[in-house]
Amino acid sequence: MLLTRKSESAPAATPRLKRLSGASAPTIDRRTFLKRSGFVAGAGAFATQLPYGAIQPARAQKAAEGAGATEVHRTVCTHCSVGCAIDAHVQNGVWVRQEPVFDSPINLGAHCAKGASIREHGHGEYRLKSPMKLVDGKWQKLSWDQAINEVGDKLLALRKDAGPDSVFWIGSSKHNNEQSYLFRKFVSYFGSNNMDHQARICHSTTVAGVANTWGYGAMTNSYNDMQNTKCALYIGSNAAEAHPVSMLHMLHAKENGAKMIVADPRFTRTAAKADMHCRIRSGTDIPFLFGVLHHIFKNGWEDKQYIHDRVYGMDKVREEVLAKWTPDKVEEACGVPEAQVAKVAEMMAKNRPSTLVWCMGQTQHTIGNAMVRASCILQLALGNIGVSGGGANIFRGHDNVQGATDVGPNPDSLPGYYGIAAGSWKHFAAVWGVDYDWIKGRFASQAMMEKPGMTVSRWIDGVLEKNELIDQDSNLRGIVFWGHAPNSQSRGKEMVEAMKKLDLLVVVDPYPSATAAMAAMVRKDGVYLLPAATQFETSGSCTASNRSIQWRERVISPLFEAQTDHAIMYAFAKKFGYGAEFVKNYKIVKPDGDRKFEEPEMESVLREINRGVWTIGYTGQSPERLKLHMKHMNTFDVKSLRAKGGPCDGDYFGLPWPCYGTPEIKHPGSPNLYMTSRHMMDGGGCFRANFGVERGGETLLAEDGSHPAGGDLTSGYPEFDHVLMKKLGWWDELTEAEKKAAEGKNWKTDLSGGIQRVSMKHGAHPFGNAKARAIVWNFPDGIPQHREPIYSPRPDLIAKYPTHDDKKAFWRLPTLFKTMQEKNKDISKEYPIVLTSGRLVEYEGGGEETRSNPWLAELQQENFVEINPKDANDRGIRDGEYVWVKTPTGAQLKVKALVTERVGAGTSFIPFHFSGWWQGKDMLEYYPEGAHPVVRGEAVNTATTYGYDAVTMMQETKTTLCQVAKA
Amino acid sequence: MIRSAWVIGVAAAAFALAACGERPQVIQYKQGAYQGKPDQKPYANAPFDGNQQKWDNDLRQRNQAQNEYKRIGS
Amino acid sequence: MARMKFLCDAERCIECNGCVTACKQEHDIPWGVNRRRVVTINDGVPGERSISVACMHCSDAPCMAVCPVDCFYKTEEGVVLHDKDLCIGCGYCFYACPFGAPQFPQTGAFGVRGKMDKCTFCAGGPEANNSEEEFRKYGRNRLAEGKLPACAEMCSTKALLGGDGDVLADIYRQRVTVRGRGGDVWGWATAYGQPGQAPAQAPAKGGKS
Ligand code: SF4
Ligand code: SF4
Ligand code: SF4
Repeated sequence: MLLTRKSESAPAATPRLKRLSGASAPTIDRRTFLKRSGFVAGAGAFATQLPYGAIQPARAQKAAEGAGATEVHRTVCTHCSVGCAIDAHVQNGVWVRQEPVFDSPINLGAHCAKGASIREHGHGEYRLKSPMKLVDGKWQKLSWDQAINEVGDKLLALRKDAGPDSVFWIGSSKHNNEQSYLFRKFVSYFGSNNMDHQARICHSTTVAGVANTWGYGAMTNSYNDMQNTKCALYIGSNAAEAHPVSMLHMLHAKENGAKMIVADPRFTRTAAKADMHCRIRSGTDIPFLFGVLHHIFKNGWEDKQYIHDRVYGMDKVREEVLAKWTPDKVEEACGVPEAQVAKVAEMMAKNRPSTLVWCMGQTQHTIGNAMVRASCILQLALGNIGVSGGGANIFRGHDNVQGATDVGPNPDSLPGYYGIAAGSWKHFAAVWGVDYDWIKGRFASQAMMEKPGMTVSRWIDGVLEKNELIDQDSNLRGIVFWGHAPNSQSRGKEMVEAMKKLDLLVVVDPYPSATAAMAAMVRKDGVYLLPAATQFETSGSCTASNRSIQWRERVISPLFEAQTDHAIMYAFAKKFGYGAEFVKNYKIVKPDGDRKFEEPEMESVLREINRGVWTIGYTGQSPERLKLHMKHMNTFDVKSLRAKGGPCDGDYFGLPWPCYGTPEIKHPGSPNLYMTSRHMMDGGGCFRANFGVERGGETLLAEDGSHPAGGDLTSGYPEFDHVLMKKLGWWDELTEAEKKAAEGKNWKTDLSGGIQRVSMKHGAHPFGNAKARAIVWNFPDGIPQHREPIYSPRPDLIAKYPTHDDKKAFWRLPTLFKTMQEKNKDISKEYPIVLTSGRLVEYEGGGEETRSNPWLAELQQENFVEINPKDANDRGIRDGEYVWVKTPTGAQLKVKALVTERVGAGTSFIPFHFSGWWQGKDMLEYYPEGAHPVVRGEAVNTATTYGYDAVTMMQETKTTLCQVAKA
Repeated sequence: MIRSAWVIGVAAAAFALAACGERPQVIQYKQGAYQGKPDQKPYANAPFDGNQQKWDNDLRQRNQAQNEYKRIGS
Repeated sequence: MARMKFLCDAERCIECNGCVTACKQEHDIPWGVNRRRVVTINDGVPGERSISVACMHCSDAPCMAVCPVDCFYKTEEGVVLHDKDLCIGCGYCFYACPFGAPQFPQTGAFGVRGKMDKCTFCAGGPEANNSEEEFRKYGRNRLAEGKLPACAEMCSTKALLGGDGDVLADIYRQRVTVRGRGGDVWGWATAYGQPGQAPAQAPAKGGKS
């Protein structure tokens, strides 16, 4: 790391505090605060009076006391899914200090650069300070009331003219659980499934692939559990930069003898810590993983008993892998030589339990869903799932992307993965306390109500595609970006075309600036910016990657004119005429008096979630239990996450979901999923029965003897419903009230919780006990197949491993595969270098928030492209020079060349956190005044190309092609 | 205070200190005697109020927060 | 009696810059000043190692020896501090320091242009403990609060240790014993070359390295 000091771009030109005090809202900046408390004046006075001798301690003491009492609020870092706890010290409403929480079992006080500088959120100097609209190409302030009215009227007009599906709502993984849940409800009441959030472009392929393999789409174990592993294979994860504090656990394990392997096109910082690095070609995870599996099968290292008891379809996979993925084919496709692949197989097999970690390097591909399943299959073959120290440790991205996926705005699902069939809507109508027919009336039709909406990866096509080709009446005419960056979606060049064409663009965000600037670059009006509060300005729960749920206390009140997201939702709900229905079950509070809007109380929203989301066990985590955990973090064991004694005795930290039943049952949460060695009430489990009981004469249920420990049922069984309860003779263990509620219901829809309670009492898993599926027959490739990316550097391999056929109405849009690939078959002649993207430790996501934090911004002041010395020399490029990176879309990026062996020859890498430059031009003039990030740079996604996953519409960002030339 | 006065007035400062009858608050740096203002001991203030032992112990204990072996056990 | 020291375990440091921003936010350090920074050797190739460097609070501190106005002093705990009112910002200490620890702010919270700023081991400076004056000139005084330096307390992997040298030695010894490897992981041997081996090259310039 070389720190470049650039005084000319230094924001210190105007002192931070001065700018802050210019803010319109009645907040106190630190200087005023210090003056008021007499701190500055007092200290200065006595210092000058004193002789050279001792400064009396007593006087210093007095000065300190004058500063007012310090309140400590425990919160959680908002910059990644590790979930590091922070103690925020607040004086007179100003966030003055942050202290590490050594008690947290998750991070033990540790932070990466982002968490260690989180207190900048108490300044927020580059935030949007008041509502704004674009008038004649200029940003103009307006009041909140005006904003709600104008934006509300326009949305209502669109709804009336073009139908509720003409607006696309992009929610956020940075909302807490309660807010994301409310967002799903809010848009449902608007009458549409057209909503999505970051999970689409982050781990949607994981969620779909993994859930279809064994039950739940989530990380099976935890960061902490990696301390129990003997060998870890990271593939498509650069944890040292993306999840730094997870490395605390891994390096501890490594110190205690665990092995560590990294498979990645780059020699990442994570690879620098590993025992072995395999440089695979970008997009060839399947050849690599199946290459490893080939050696495992060949040597008979698979766990045969485990496979027999708990896995369906492994024999067919075995046949195919042994026949198809021979070492020569593997090396041809992914570039890793046989000896190295064999070594990986040996390390994983002989050091069990071994774990597998993957991230966006694996998910963001046109065959992402298949790649993640190949990972699952490897772990199933080794018998590593449902084992402490093993597992599929899927590191999620944003702090609450797991939670927002679980209970938030998904276009194809209601909270808790209930789907959007009539039965699911009826379940939630009951939970929300509204009439099913009323909700139905809000939609264009029942058909639209049960049709999955578009995805955030494709909203631009929802705007631009020919109307007759899309699977809804109107094209998208209004977009609401509610806590989502635009530069995280691919095909930026086409995005500005879509922005041009819109009737209305609304951005709700603490840092709406990237979207604002892009829009202002191509539009004169029709854009509104609404300042939202951060997670430090509200309370609520968030779900870390390991499914532990932590409660954030409110640190400060919303700075400037910002409002909390749920206050804004409620204000719009009232404007749209469904305010009462929206907050039916909630207490309404005004934490800041009349200074801010009124809002639903977070605790009461969580209680509604507890009452409704039975599928994934979000029912046991009452606000009271969560708060108790936050208070007694010190009582939890770091390796097992379990409390030993104390008020949370027996619980796992944060009650990692599933935490079944009502809070009163006190299920401890499930630290490792599918773990048959533990009793249900100890967090044990098994694979889910979700795909029928039999296929082709073969049972899909677990074999005899394989079941959660100590359970009354010792063989496989289907999911619980009223019929099974009666068959087993357990029905009469329900109370009369429970019986009434449970009649005709199953474990997911029984609002009394009786079915779950009784099945768990018997140590039986409410979701059944089945086999995991090595073959997911309902997916395009039941057994994962390697298919070359749309833009492949290997025309010869396109012939061998062609992509899918085109799809017509896929998430409401036509989607091209083969046509695109054929068209670009030989494009690697012109664009010979693979372009991939990834993370920097200092920034998060689209990066606007973190690039607005001067403490972070100083560390990464410019965007760059990593390029191998060979490629650089061939092009006459020197380290540190500006270059143009050009892609087949015709877009070009001006970035600095970082010539390094970190990338292999033929591969280049650009971090994805930058925005604010457009093809060589700084967009500063398009930002609302004072709301531009400190560091701006070229967004890699301005130049990324077409390509989407065949199941989830995940965008392909990890493998495309480019040419690099001297600027 | 004017800087030149500080530089020139070395002897005066030393004398002033002695005259106060205070224990010097600073470790005297022998090579080139420190010319600046005296500093307080880190345990001079609350909650230590001069109790060096308590401060030492507190810090030692807190130091273990940097040692995850302590919390985890091995 | 504590003898304050830093120790960075190169086997653990992942160059996440947590220590750097912890320092910046704790002391409100202005843009352009880095009391602490992370140095990486063999960047991007096998053998890549990072260590976090700030003032080492030398026992026989060169900065102290050369300062023309003798503004440096050393506390009982072995922390090297200086008096900013006395410092003339000449930069001689910068010459003398083997680690480039002294920094010279242009503007910002430390007020006077040209004055030197450096890591204080979170021990403030020659002003009343935890007074506003002390904070303005030197930053927080965590030691006087019974806390240790923010960088070490927040290090993401507990690579960076800060505190009483004896305690650090114990912590580090335990790690070395567990992983069965010792001296070579200090990083310095690698940084300055081992016998019969050329010193490692400097990190690549520009952007992320
Ligand atoms: S970004 Fe992640 S690893 Fe870094 S401090 Fe925040 S939660 Fe922890
Ligand atoms: S500034 Fe440099 S020379 Fe002086 S004590 Fe610190 S590391 Fe040693
Ligand atoms: S916080 Fe720790 S791991 Fe991160 S750069 Fe600093 S010393 Fe290294």
